[in-house]
Amino acid sequence: MSAVETASQDQARRLQITRGSVAALLVLVIAAICRFWGEELTWLVSWPDALTVPMTDWVGAGVGWFLAVFKPIARVFSYLLEFPMTWVGGLLGGAPWPLILGSVTALGWLIGGARMAALGFFGFGFVVISGYWLEGMNTLALVAVSVPLAALLGAGIGIFAFEYPKLKSSVNVVLDVMQTMPTFAYLTPLLVLFGFGPVVGLIASAIFAAPPMARNVLLGLERVEPEIREAAVMSGGTRRQQLFLVELPAASQQIMVGFNQCLMAALSMVIIAAVIGGFEDIGWEVLLTMRKALFGPAFLAGSVIVVFAVVIDRMSAALAEPRPAQDKRVALGIFAIGALVAVWAVIAGWNPAGIAAMDGVADKVDHGVGQFTANHGATLDTIKNTSMFYGLLPLRIGLSDAVLPFTWGFAWTAQHSFVFYAVFAAIAALVALRGHLPQAGLVLIGAYVLETGIAQLPWAFVIFGVGAVGWVAGGRKLAIQVSVLLGLILVSGLWERALLSLYLSGASVAACALVGGVLGFWSAMSPRAWMVIRPVCDTLQTIPLFVFLIPVLMFFQIGEFSAFLAICMYAVVPMIRYTRHGLISTPEEMIEAATASGAGKWQTMFEVRAPYAAPTILLGLNQTILYAFAMLVIAALIGTTGLGQSIFLALGQADVGLGVTAGVAMAILALVADRLVQGFAEERKQALGL
Amino acid sequence: MTKILKASLSALAVTAVAMSAQAAELGAADEPIKLALNEWTGQHVTTHVAGEMLKAAGYEVEYVTAGMMNQFQAIADGDIHATLEIWSSNVSDQYAVLKDDGKLEELSDLGLNAREGIAYPAHVADLCPGLPAWEALKDCAINFATAETLPAGRLVDYPADWGTPGADRMVGLDLPFKAVPAGSEGALIAELRASTEKKSPLLITFWQPHWAMSAYDVKFVELPAGEDACFTDPAWGPNPNAINDCDFSASRIFKAAWPGLKDKWPAAHEILVNYQLSVEAQQPMMGAVDVDGDSVEDVVAEWMAANEGAWKPVVDAATK
Repeated sequence: MSAVETASQDQARRLQITRGSVAALLVLVIAAICRFWGEELTWLVSWPDALTVPMTDWVGAGVGWFLAVFKPIARVFSYLLEFPMTWVGGLLGGAPWPLILGSVTALGWLIGGARMAALGFFGFGFVVISGYWLEGMNTLALVAVSVPLAALLGAGIGIFAFEYPKLKSSVNVVLDVMQTMPTFAYLTPLLVLFGFGPVVGLIASAIFAAPPMARNVLLGLERVEPEIREAAVMSGGTRRQQLFLVELPAASQQIMVGFNQCLMAALSMVIIAAVIGGFEDIGWEVLLTMRKALFGPAFLAGSVIVVFAVVIDRMSAALAEPRPAQDKRVALGIFAIGALVAVWAVIAGWNPAGIAAMDGVADKVDHGVGQFTANHGATLDTIKNTSMFYGLLPLRIGLSDAVLPFTWGFAWTAQHSFVFYAVFAAIAALVALRGHLPQAGLVLIGAYVLETGIAQLPWAFVIFGVGAVGWVAGGRKLAIQVSVLLGLILVSGLWERALLSLYLSGASVAACALVGGVLGFWSAMSPRAWMVIRPVCDTLQTIPLFVFLIPVLMFFQIGEFSAFLAICMYAVVPMIRYTRHGLISTPEEMIEAATASGAGKWQTMFEVRAPYAAPTILLGLNQTILYAFAMLVIAALIGTTGLGQSIFLALGQADVGLGVTAGVAMAILALVADRLVQGFAEERKQALGL
Repeated sequence: MTKILKASLSALAVTAVAMSAQAAELGAADEPIKLALNEWTGQHVTTHVAGEMLKAAGYEVEYVTAGMMNQFQAIADGDIHATLEIWSSNVSDQYAVLKDDGKLEELSDLGLNAREGIAYPAHVADLCPGLPAWEALKDCAINFATAETLPAGRLVDYPADWGTPGADRMVGLDLPFKAVPAGSEGALIAELRASTEKKSPLLITFWQPHWAMSAYDVKFVELPAGEDACFTDPAWGPNPNAINDCDFSASRIFKAAWPGLKDKWPAAHEILVNYQLSVEAQQPMMGAVDVDGDSVEDVVAEWMAANEGAWKPVVDAATK
């Protein structure tokens, strides 16, 4: 590295420090004003009602008008969609299961030889003995129609964004909204538009599943080698010929990755859409058992989805990779066996619903949950109370309100506040003396948040603070973006609910970052640990989210702690995966260099692998945040307050305005968090020279 | 159980015969009538009995699964033709809007006498001596307290979208309880189950007929009778300063249909209007499904065969 470069990097670092310090200082000033003059300047703390606009009514009217105009077109569309639905449904539901089992096994052989064939055979065999065969086939039929729809939509968006690079950033925002807006928020409008039935679930899952396809198509097209592109131009094809005959085939590898993600997303969303009904699929079955709080059967039905997800994921992932051709005669043989057994089955009059051989197991699991609750009731209560008193309550309403004689044993007074701030000021001073000025500011800001409570933070502090973080992460443009977005929630009158959602997801994300980081680190260090953790991650990610709620409710009852746990169970997965992935994918040269210079295993881990993995881990954190927001809506089924509950309320009351507005507010929170974390990740990447 | 069945049989027979009805046209008997199946077992029983009655009259019937809250738009659009167990305590605003616009037709009450109230699993009586009298709750509220509600006791209320009747009672009766919305029916059941397993205190807003009433031995707290005056006149009842200081008013359970039903299938319309089902008939069937694990179809078929007098007259009156 030359001297000039070092100097400029030093300068850059100094510049960052100043920017961070300035931001921290400014936020601190706002916090101090709110803390000391909040009582006089009430408009700084809570947004005046007079300035709140009836956003939900406007949105309701706007969407209502839109629905009325587009309803006839949408109805034609849903009429047309019913044909493939009926065909696929009839094919999958009507065929005897030995035939389908044989086909899947044969397909597995074609794709990946004996391993894939075994996966297909045992996976679908499990569905047969679970007793949910018909429901499972209905679910598959829904996926089979929604995935082509989503893939076409996604490919269209991706190609559009590639052809018109100027619109790329707007397209990206649209894709983000499609992915972060909770499905429940727009189920009611879809219902009005497309009419009752499985078509609504189909469209909802297509909306959710299209973005990964679009992103990968775009990425694939952008990565096509310039030489290939030039060759196409020189051979004189039209633009369309270039695109479809040269560039898209050249990008096929990346497009297959997108297709795989699209499949998985559709599968997870089909279940959520079951809330509407109209189709006896696995999602409906899970909902029925959930209403009876039967964990065993719900888990069994949910496992069918996990099996589908694993089979589909592995097979379509194998499609995306170059692979040796398999002997077609073997596949034909397997298929023939399946067909023969199917014919015999039909003649012998087998039960088309599969064999319910697992009911005993399901009951046992259910019984086990009950037993555990009965035996460990006191311990569970202690865990819950301790976490509530010393963790969640102070975070929500602040130490000043949460510290009471019957929780902590004493009442919080002005003296406590004084001592509290004095201690934190001392820590901040120490940190500042060691040269970390922004961190010192963060310590003091943290103290303010902890004393006030997230749900009671003044709006001015939140918006200004988030804007400052945006400024540090990505400059003035990002700062303005995030402040304006949050301002929209503020004037819409959903601010208090948004803060409650922010508190619950914030607490969950913090816990996930810690636990997921440790587990990811452990998995990176020990392949054996990863062998245990990986299937757990797979299951947590693909099982219908509702299933988690039952044991959590049984153990800890209705309330925030249960919601917190349910969110953590789902959102911790990306943190584990990305942390591990980041830590193990350090380039070999770097590790060799470290080993050569005498670094031990742990030293390499902390000083080489960890800094190199930082951007990947930040991406994991980003995913964890998005997952936490997604789960927040489901957690409303355990009785949380905040935006999630509003969305459910709106769904129940068919209140389009409230549903869409709360959904957009949720999407805004997720987008802001996403942009901030990505800003920091980008900055780290540049610092590492990636 | 047979005794209950017999009693219900005679009661039903009386109501059925007493109804004045005249024969109507079958209408489009070759097109299936679609009945909504919602999320709970009692409704499945109610719907299957109605469906079998329509089949006996010569109709084709299709059962369509539909979310309770989302079915009304479908009925207004004619995608579903009737839904047979709507609880007045748990019906969306959308229903009223669609009904007022003439896009939905309310048929009549089902005759299912429902009861809602503040309830507790039987073992809780030991934790709060004096129950089921409501006054007992005044002194033992602290036994029901949790981390989120301290120092008040905790009442698990209906999910927020069903309204807050439990919270209204606590305010009306000036009881030191804080209501926590449950979020879903599953959450309510999980609370009952966990409380029974752990023998822990629980006060909950609940209703019958429901299979959990007997499965978890749930009892209602005795409150002053819910007269109309209680909901309008603060002076009425034990608390002179508040309304709602009494039990729940009786909830109505009724049926609704697509407005086109009457013209397309006149006899079916008449059957569904006159169709009645009592708690005494429904509850054992629910138990057979949820506790014994039999299928709804089998249970209903068995009941239909054993209780022809309860439903045949309604079908005959409409078709003959």
